[in-house]
Amino acid sequence: MDQILEVLSLFLSVENILMIALGVVIGVVIGAIPGLTATMAVALALPFTFGMEPVTAILLLVGIYKGGMYGGSITAILIRTPGSPASASTLLDGYPMAQKGEAKKALSMALYASCIADFISNLSLIFLAGFLAQLALSFGPPEYFWLICFSLTIIISVSGDSVMKGLVAAALGVILALVGMDPVYGTERLTFDNFNLMDRINFIPLLIGLFAIPEILEFYLSRAREHIQTAVAGADMTWQELKRSMRTIIRGSFIGVIIGAIPGTGATAASFISYSEARRNSPNRENFGKGEIEGVAAAESGNNAVAGATMIPLLSLGIPGDVITAIILGAFMIHGLTPGPILFQENMNLIYALFCGIMLSSVVLFGTGKLAIRYFSRIADVPKQILFPIVLMFCIYGAYAVNNSTFDIAVMLVFGLVGFIFNRTGFAAAPFLIGFILGPMLEDNFRRSLLISNHSFDVFVRSPIDWFFIALTLLSLGFALHRYIQSLRNN
Amino acid sequence: MKPLMKMLMAAGAAVFLPLMGTSAQAADWPAKNVTLVVPYAAGGTTDILSRRVADLLGTELGVTVIVENRPGAGTTVATAQLARVSKRDADYRVLMSSPGHTVGASLYPLSYDPVKDFRFIQNVIDIPNVLVVPAKSKYQTFEEFVAAAKTEATSYSSPGIGSSIHMSGELFKSKIGAPNMTHVPFRGSGEALPALLAGDVDFSFENLPTVYPMIKSGQLRVLAVTTNEPSPFLPEVPTVKAAGVAHGLGDFATSAWFGLIGSASMSDEAYGKLQVAVNNVMQSQAFNDFLPQLGAIAGKESGDAFKAMVERDINQWAALVEATGLGE
Repeated sequence: MDQILEVLSLFLSVENILMIALGVVIGVVIGAIPGLTATMAVALALPFTFGMEPVTAILLLVGIYKGGMYGGSITAILIRTPGSPASASTLLDGYPMAQKGEAKKALSMALYASCIADFISNLSLIFLAGFLAQLALSFGPPEYFWLICFSLTIIISVSGDSVMKGLVAAALGVILALVGMDPVYGTERLTFDNFNLMDRINFIPLLIGLFAIPEILEFYLSRAREHIQTAVAGADMTWQELKRSMRTIIRGSFIGVIIGAIPGTGATAASFISYSEARRNSPNRENFGKGEIEGVAAAESGNNAVAGATMIPLLSLGIPGDVITAIILGAFMIHGLTPGPILFQENMNLIYALFCGIMLSSVVLFGTGKLAIRYFSRIADVPKQILFPIVLMFCIYGAYAVNNSTFDIAVMLVFGLVGFIFNRTGFAAAPFLIGFILGPMLEDNFRRSLLISNHSFDVFVRSPIDWFFIALTLLSLGFALHRYIQSLRNN
Repeated sequence: MKPLMKMLMAAGAAVFLPLMGTSAQAADWPAKNVTLVVPYAAGGTTDILSRRVADLLGTELGVTVIVENRPGAGTTVATAQLARVSKRDADYRVLMSSPGHTVGASLYPLSYDPVKDFRFIQNVIDIPNVLVVPAKSKYQTFEEFVAAAKTEATSYSSPGIGSSIHMSGELFKSKIGAPNMTHVPFRGSGEALPALLAGDVDFSFENLPTVYPMIKSGQLRVLAVTTNEPSPFLPEVPTVKAAGVAHGLGDFATSAWFGLIGSASMSDEAYGKLQVAVNNVMQSQAFNDFLPQLGAIAGKESGDAFKAMVERDINQWAALVEATGLGE
């Protein structure tokens, strides 16, 4: 009883609740602006937390993290510009929905899926932290390697009409991801002696270019075409639709939780895996990529479930799973706290107070999202000739702001052109993106595995986790092959 | 006055007044806000401590110290930018330099001279590296470990190529002569630590603050610290330098340092005043309360001593990179 009172006294303060709300609002707004990521917002907010109570400080940062994760979906749906990398998969169906005049429906689904996933993720953090932390530690380089092999099979799901074109796009993504310094030997690869390419091609300008710029180019090249969307007037999501997507949301949440608990894989991969699994299991498979509401549900549940789960390795092991949790780790240390098993022993009340706040943040996220939909969906009503110049300006600023680098603006424009050519030639941008993100992870973990095993290939089958993902990969490929043969027969 | 005359005078004023401003600026420096460039992305250790230092330095100087993140190519992008800074801005732009400056000198093609193009103000913070092994490792002491590492195949993790952690490992390897020691690079400590905790790699020279919680909880065992003196946080742990004399490690000292540098064209006025201000910051209670939270200690080297340290490091890493064939 005393402990409960102490936890409540730590948690129940005006500042805490205010900071959670403030954090979520900041996160949603920053997340919605292309190029401004939750990572930047958390980093910039950090100095303001120096003077706060530890619980208040961490809750502010967690609020921004969660808000940002959701906020990215808003612009992805409305203007095909993912506000954050993790919402790239949201636009696959979200934007076609908006084009059909269903922006409000898509935004609502994104919000419900995000909040439900967030809630499941929080529960996992509270009840399964110990188990998931142990699981995370059993993931060494070979296990990552197979996880990524399995993840690569999602290229089949997001290739659009032609798997062959999808594979070509993915290969192109892999090649471009090789640019930079070799991770083991430090030699330059495909840098053409350009200084700016030595640190690899920056991901965010590439992302903005690939998705937002082609849309703007298309608009100016075919102004006569009908581009009208009526978002606010559009219908809201029905309960029936939410019920139909529930399985997808829960599946996506668990995928997000597991990926989130393993350091270094990230929300982008989680959302794509969730999307791919949803498509595979859906009766409306053919409708994915053309405005299927379940696609939005899958993507958003996948990426939002990561946020709570990345706190698992952070709190229980002291290991930050991504850049944002690395900053939150910094915030803990600034306040003289060291996350890890010791924190659980010495500051259990603080952990419980944090859990209370994290749970509350899900509720606040829901409220903020509802408001955001009301105001942001008006963007869809702005005439395109006014909206697109503004979007372009944000894109340029966003690309620049990541590293304060003008070279990145050029990167964005080049990939804008690439995206445009993809659009015109029927290549999908999503496989390209997946190749670009997962290609280097595959290479890194393949080489690391061989380094730790002294070049023995036995390391790739050293644990049941390896076999599990090998089986999943084979199943996934077998399933795709089966469908392909079936479609041949039907034709 | 004729309109033409008025215009000419105005034009003259427009041309000359700013110049007068510049000469006046040097006398009462700082006349405007100072920018502190952080050569890493927002959010890392360097960023966190730079923001704290910027805050305190701003109070000391009476102007705002703006933090600007300019990551890229292991700090060399930001450093190249500082080397090229115009004379007008030279007094108002400083960089939080780090081992990236000295390692980068041999890993990246530089457009600047890493010593001559800069003025070295003050080494502000030293973060020691520690030699850690997983709890289940068979190595109990530094002595046991070194003896085994010379003959057995061992591997160590680092958060990336060219990091102070990687270079510590390479230096250690070359000094004790361990042909079977393998470097396993990760991308960031967040990815490297699970491999270390799980025993996929045998050891690492991690930054002390990163692994301190794991040392405290018993998940990692610390065998030695890499600084010249034992760490106040781990007083009972020997230094590599002291414990490794017999193995040719008598001059082994590495740490992640963070120090302020300006461009070579920085005026004496600004340089001197900055040095005083930074020293005042380093004496302050706020700074000394903040250091232990990062597991850090105050840097010692100032001015020429700082420059000499950078020069020594550049030579040390250059020789090592040459010997190991890194980047070829």
